[in-house]
Formats: sequence, C-alpha cells, structure tokens
Amino acid sequence: MAGTGSRGRAERRSAGELESEVLAALWATDRALTPAEIQAGIGGGLAYNTVHTILKRLYDKGLVLRDADGRRGAYRPAKNAAQLTAEAMHQALDRGPDPIAALQQFVTGLSREEEQALRALLAEGDA
Amino acid sequence: MRFDVYGPLVVSVLLAVAGPLTGRYVAPAAAARVLAAAAVLTAGATTWSLVLLGAALLGDAPPVVREARENGRTPTAPVPESIALAACLALVVVAVRVHRAVRDERRTRRALRRLCAGYPADTELIVASSAVPRAFAIPGRPGRILVTSAMLGALRPEERRVLLAHERAHLAHRHGLLVTAATLAAAADPLLWPVRSAVVYLVERWADEQAAATVGDRRTAARALARAALTAGPAAPGHALYFGDRAVTRRITALRAGPPPSLWSAALAVVALSTLPPLLAADATGDLFGLLTGRPH
Repeated sequence: MAGTGSRGRAERRSAGELESEVLAALWATDRALTPAEIQAGIGGGLAYNTVHTILKRLYDKGLVLRDADGRRGAYRPAKNAAQLTAEAMHQALDRGPDPIAALQQFVTGLSREEEQALRALLAEGDA
Repeated sequence: MRFDVYGPLVVSVLLAVAGPLTGRYVAPAAAARVLAAAAVLTAGATTWSLVLLGAALLGDAPPVVREARENGRTPTAPVPESIALAACLALVVVAVRVHRAVRDERRTRRALRRLCAGYPADTELIVASSAVPRAFAIPGRPGRILVTSAMLGALRPEERRVLLAHERAHLAHRHGLLVTAATLAAAADPLLWPVRSAVVYLVERWADEQAAATVGDRRTAARALARAALTAGPAAPGHALYFGDRAVTRRITALRAGPPPSLWSAALAVVALSTLPPLLAADATGDLFGLLTGRPH
C-alpha cells in the first residue's frame, strides 16, 4: 500500500511509518487539515491516494476525526486517547525517580550558553 | 591467582578511561555495541573475581586444611583474610545494587506499558496531549514512539521526520537492550559508570546518524535537534533531564561535522581489553581450584 505513490522515498516507508507521519502532521497544528494540505505538509513525494488511504486507516482506529471544524473532508486528531496518555505520562514523571529519564530521550536539558548557541544556529539557517 | 584475580578491577578502570574516548574515534554504532559488550564482560569477570577472593576464605576451611596437613604440607593463604572479607562485603553490595537496578528497570517497563495501553498493535506513534515537550522510544513488541503534542507543534515537517526516524532507529537497533546491559554492568561494577554514560550518549549519536541518513541531510537533522532542545528549554540542575554534559550540543556539532570516522583499530583495542577480564578470572579460577584440591597449579 505504501508503494502506490510515485517512486522515491515514500516507497521505502512502511504503512505504519506513513501513518505516524500523517498523525504527527495533524498533531502539529491546531487547524483541521485536508488530505491535500497534509500531502503538501509532510513532503517525501507521497501520492494523494496514499494519504487518503492512511487517513482512512487512522480514522478506522479512532485516532483521527473526519469533517472536523465544519470543513468537509478535513481531519483532526482525536484527543481522548492522547489525554489519557498524557495523564499516564505525567503520573509516571511525577512519581519519585523519573522512570522515563532512564529512556533514550530525543533531547536533554541545555545550559544558558548552549541555548544561545543553538538559537544562533537556527537563525543562521533561517536567513 | 595472586595477580590475575585483581586483573578485572584494573581493566574496569582502564575501560572507564578508554570508554568515553572510544566514541570519538569509532562510529557510534560500533562504539556503542563494543562498549556495552565490554562492560558486561568486565562486570561479570569482576564479580567472579570477588567470588574467588571471598572463596579464598574457604582455603582455611577444616576439611581442606586437614587434607593438606595429611599430605604433610602447610596450606598457604593465597589471599590475605582481610581482603577476602572485604570481597565478601563487596559481593553483598553488588547483589543489592544489581537487585535495585533490576527493580528500577521493571518499574520503568511497567510505567511504559501503561502508556501504550489501549493502542492498536500496529500503531507506531503514540501522541500525548501535553504542553511538556517530550519524545522517546518505548522498547517492546511492538516498539512505540511517544511524542507530546507540544514537541510535534514546535518542529517543522522535515524536522518531525528526523524525530520519527531517530526514535525508529532506537527501536530497530534495540538501543534499550544495550543501555539496560550497560546499566546492569555498572550496577555490578560501579567503576564502569563512565562506560554506561558513554553507551547512553553513543546510542543517541547512532540514532542521529540514522535519522540524518533517512532524511538525507545532516543539517536538517542538526536543526531538528536544536529546535527540539530549545523547545524543551533549559533544565534546572538536579532535574532528571539535566546531565550538564552538553550532550545535545555535542550531538549537533557531530552532525554538522560530517560522517563519523570509522577506526576499527580503536574498536578492536576495546574488544581486546574486554576479553582480558574473563581470561584473567578463568586463570584465577583454575588457581583457586588447584589450591582447594591441594594440587599445585
């Protein structure tokens, strides 16, 4: 199913990975997104049909809502499960020694100087 | 026996010094694997050495002494009694520390399982609707990626792909196992703590390299890290996330510097070093049995 798009990166990504990317794109914004907007947003040369199929799978799992914000065909992430997960996460974080600190975190804390250096790095790239 | 039995301790110290350096000269994937294996071998050998030293107390045990006297020899004490006693104490400490490490590990697993509860088995990404920017991989079958909405909202599309690819690399290469192995080794042999820290850092570097390869651009990977770290903000000293070791900055610098070197000679040196403790411990074991059975070794 992942290979129904144009040749390129998209073909090497599995259905599960594509679902993650579409879901991440929906969570990254406050607006409801149409398949076309998602297609433009996630890049990687995904075909419109592929995006559509992924959205249907996410919808069937109850992870996204359809026709959100009164926009026909627009999608929004379902919040219920994510709120439960957040509660469980905060419980785990608040209870004594942080069990999640033992995990491979994407990023860890910064010092003041590091913060300034990183801001400069991002600004340089944006110019 | 006299010297061999202390060998693993010496190697532990050498590894603690050499371990963090290995990451500089060896590609992170190789360095992380080699160091984790070296830590486990060394910790195992060190613990066994303590058993041998403690068992030397048995050298004075009546049956053996009697047997030795019957043979017309006076048994020589291979290890001073004070050291043997100290080894026994150390073994108790090791047992307590390993027990605690295993318990913490289990507690983490349980907490993580609760986070995944209710999600379909074929769902890779779990989003937590939270203002705290967090992202981490949850090992298991299937492995999952947990990211908070705050983190997803802060990143640009191509940076989100870096994040997902990074966490996927942790899962695909079972980085959780490597870190757990190094953590248990460091629990058994506290001298190895710097090696454990090096493994923790190296699996992040490894995942960074994989993510950069997936999106095909090292600079994008570096920017994703920078933006995520800035979103997470400064952590107060003492906070669980504060390591004070400039880890993120070092990772970003490494990504911007180009592909990592791959000096296999350095990796082989660590492998060679880590095979020493088991050999020394094995030799010491032979000596001890020789003493206990009254045969000169």
